[in-house]
Amino acid sequence: MAQFVCRYRKAEQVRWISHLDLKRTLERAMRRAALPLELTKGYNPHPKLSLGPPLPLGATGEAELLALHLRESMDPGELKERLNRQLPPGLEVVEAWILPGHRKKETFGNVDVADYRIVVSNGMDGEELGDRVRRLMESESLPIRRGGDRPEREVDVRPHILSLEIAREEPHEIELHALLKTGSHGGVRPQEVVSLLKLDESGRVVRYHRAGIYASAEEPAAHRTGVWRRWTRARASRGRSQSL
Amino acid sequence: MLLSRVTKPARYINGEWNAVHKDAASVRARLALVYPDVYEVGMSHLGLQILYHVLNSTSDFAAERAFAPWPDMEFELRSRGLALTSLESRTPLREFDAIGITLPYELTYTNILNVLDLAGVPIRSSERGADDPIVIGGGPGAVNPEPVADFFDAILVGEGEEAIAEIARAVAGADRAGALDGLAQIPGVYVPGLYETSHAGAGPRGRVIPRNDAPARVERRIVEDLDGAPFPTCQIVPFLETVHARATLEIMRGCARGCRFCQAGSVYRPRRERSLSTLLRQAEETLAATGYDEVSLLAFTSVDYSCIENLAAELVERFGERGVGIALPSLRADAFSVALANKIQQVRKTGLTFAPEAATARLRRVIGKQMDEHDLFAAADAAFSLGWYRLKLYFMIGLPTETDEDVMAIGDLVQRLVHFGRGVLGSRRNRLRIGVSVATFVPKPHTPLQWAQQDGRGDLERKHGMLQGALRGRHIKLSWSDPGASAVEAAISRGDRRVGEAIEAAWRAGARFDSWGEHFDFARWEAAFQEAGLRIEEYANAPLAYDEELAWDHISCGPDRAALRVEAEKAVGGGGD
Repeated sequence: MAQFVCRYRKAEQVRWISHLDLKRTLERAMRRAALPLELTKGYNPHPKLSLGPPLPLGATGEAELLALHLRESMDPGELKERLNRQLPPGLEVVEAWILPGHRKKETFGNVDVADYRIVVSNGMDGEELGDRVRRLMESESLPIRRGGDRPEREVDVRPHILSLEIAREEPHEIELHALLKTGSHGGVRPQEVVSLLKLDESGRVVRYHRAGIYASAEEPAAHRTGVWRRWTRARASRGRSQSL
Repeated sequence: MLLSRVTKPARYINGEWNAVHKDAASVRARLALVYPDVYEVGMSHLGLQILYHVLNSTSDFAAERAFAPWPDMEFELRSRGLALTSLESRTPLREFDAIGITLPYELTYTNILNVLDLAGVPIRSSERGADDPIVIGGGPGAVNPEPVADFFDAILVGEGEEAIAEIARAVAGADRAGALDGLAQIPGVYVPGLYETSHAGAGPRGRVIPRNDAPARVERRIVEDLDGAPFPTCQIVPFLETVHARATLEIMRGCARGCRFCQAGSVYRPRRERSLSTLLRQAEETLAATGYDEVSLLAFTSVDYSCIENLAAELVERFGERGVGIALPSLRADAFSVALANKIQQVRKTGLTFAPEAATARLRRVIGKQMDEHDLFAAADAAFSLGWYRLKLYFMIGLPTETDEDVMAIGDLVQRLVHFGRGVLGSRRNRLRIGVSVATFVPKPHTPLQWAQQDGRGDLERKHGMLQGALRGRHIKLSWSDPGASAVEAAISRGDRRVGEAIEAAWRAGARFDSWGEHFDFARWEAAFQEAGLRIEEYANAPLAYDEELAWDHISCGPDRAALRVEAEKAVGGGGD
């Protein structure tokens, strides 16, 4: 029995697939690849598979994470190859690691920061947007209303926006980089940031891409020696990460 | 961006596993296969996957799919002036050589008009020109093609896996007139434009008469050798969770039970089986090609398959360890079926469904339903003893000769089952749930009960009230079909060509997705029939006489009128076999 972590890419072709549908898609690809899947016991057996934090519907991502248990170990390179042969266009495993010596199910619970690239097209003045970004970052608090099906409540999302800047400016396109807190201990969605910048009016196209996800806090003991740390460092050394 | 503005955008994307993408320039004909309902319903339909596979496994033809867009997507398409396209290559449907549309069920027919309109294809065959695709229908509804005859250039009656290649050949490279001539030569293909209709008063009384040398009767197509018939083991795996997200094996086609209300039982005769070895091979291939974790054994009554025990045991042995479950979509109400279900569903005891259809032995004899109450209780006993808590029971009301006592007997039977179930379950009795689903009898062409009338809406509502009173209790959940929707279903089911005008009027008035309760509007349909100079009651609620000529007499579907009449007379004479 062994646990593997894969970093995979969710590209243009599959960006409209929901998190739940994506999970089923990955499970079916794993069955087609005839991987020796470790199944859960009991009522309704299914592969021991967990995914990292969900992407918003319509967003692409290049640093998505999954963890799965196999009944027997295999070369991570072989796992990657076999899985990629069975994945539909737009999904691709980029790297795979074996988690040595620890059998607890990886759930990516410590992932709490996401690096988003937000591309805005159609008639947005760069200077104007720059002002809005500056005002937003200078605010002490940014209360927004959240509701959905539940009663509305007010949340201050300012502490969850770690950084926000204009990274690229072209006549018809502006790219923002946003480092946002995410996860179960509070966070802000990139769409909420776009809404705070008043960029979500009709006619304007906004595209979201998640370039990286990170664990900001002290890593849990289980991860201290694992590839998780190696992976975080690898990302950082490529210069995509920012100091936290 | 279009997809950011609609619910479930994955309905409109492509690239699902096993979808086929062909170069348009490399084939002789391109066909768009359309299912006139939303993606997740259409993708659960095996027929569509079979035809897609048959066409795409040839080098001559390419098939792509399209589905009815949900109203939010329709709004986006119309407000931007966009045409409906296929999924695979995003080609506008009007650029295909032919559009093949499934006729699954009467309440999807307004979606057919909507799809054609969104594709920019004139909805009426008579208004299409040389540049328009040939529009071909087929599927269960084809056994009475008249209500949609004006909208189709050709309709295939019967089973399609052999005929579809002949149809594609007739369409390939031919101009419109040539294609229609070619189609008319294919056995089972009905070209409505070659026929005239005459009507004899109200309702579906009248004749459909061939012009020139068109055949007087169109014989339904049937696949003789089901075992050797093409079957798609590389089934498309949708991203979106569909109604039936699992590998499907068609173990048997047709049914030997002879229930007198059942159109499928009547028109898919004779009963044909696939062999055990073929099915095991297809199971292996389908699971390997799709990655599904469940296999469904599709048949009208799966347990009637002659080697069902062997098949189930083999499947469990080969695939059980991989966590693959086996589903029996249709059970017989007896202890054998429950024991079998128990054997193969060790882990997933979701619920069992039985269809007594009527609650008195007399009425079951009338409709030809072979089920004994003793067997039903034996089935329930087995189910509750083996760990099931939930049963679902299907009944029909408005059946010929039905009295109020027959209706009240449904309440009595269910209450006795509740009492019985509580006894068997003992300390676990609080978990008992019995779902009671009450459908309305719809007289269907080519069945022995085609001459019978449907109850009026008032009667149906009164009977629903009776059932509501009789089926109280915390273990029981009662649901029924909307009487208005049943009336429209019956009127279209027994419709003639004039009913097509009512369908068009309803669609123009905004009717879409009529089989989805939230979209159905009875007043709109009443007005639509009126606009066509018709009344729903003339088609749904009037009895027909045995010697009258009917709008579907030119379609031959197996049992002939004399055979149906013998059964019909047995039915109203009190049953008997």
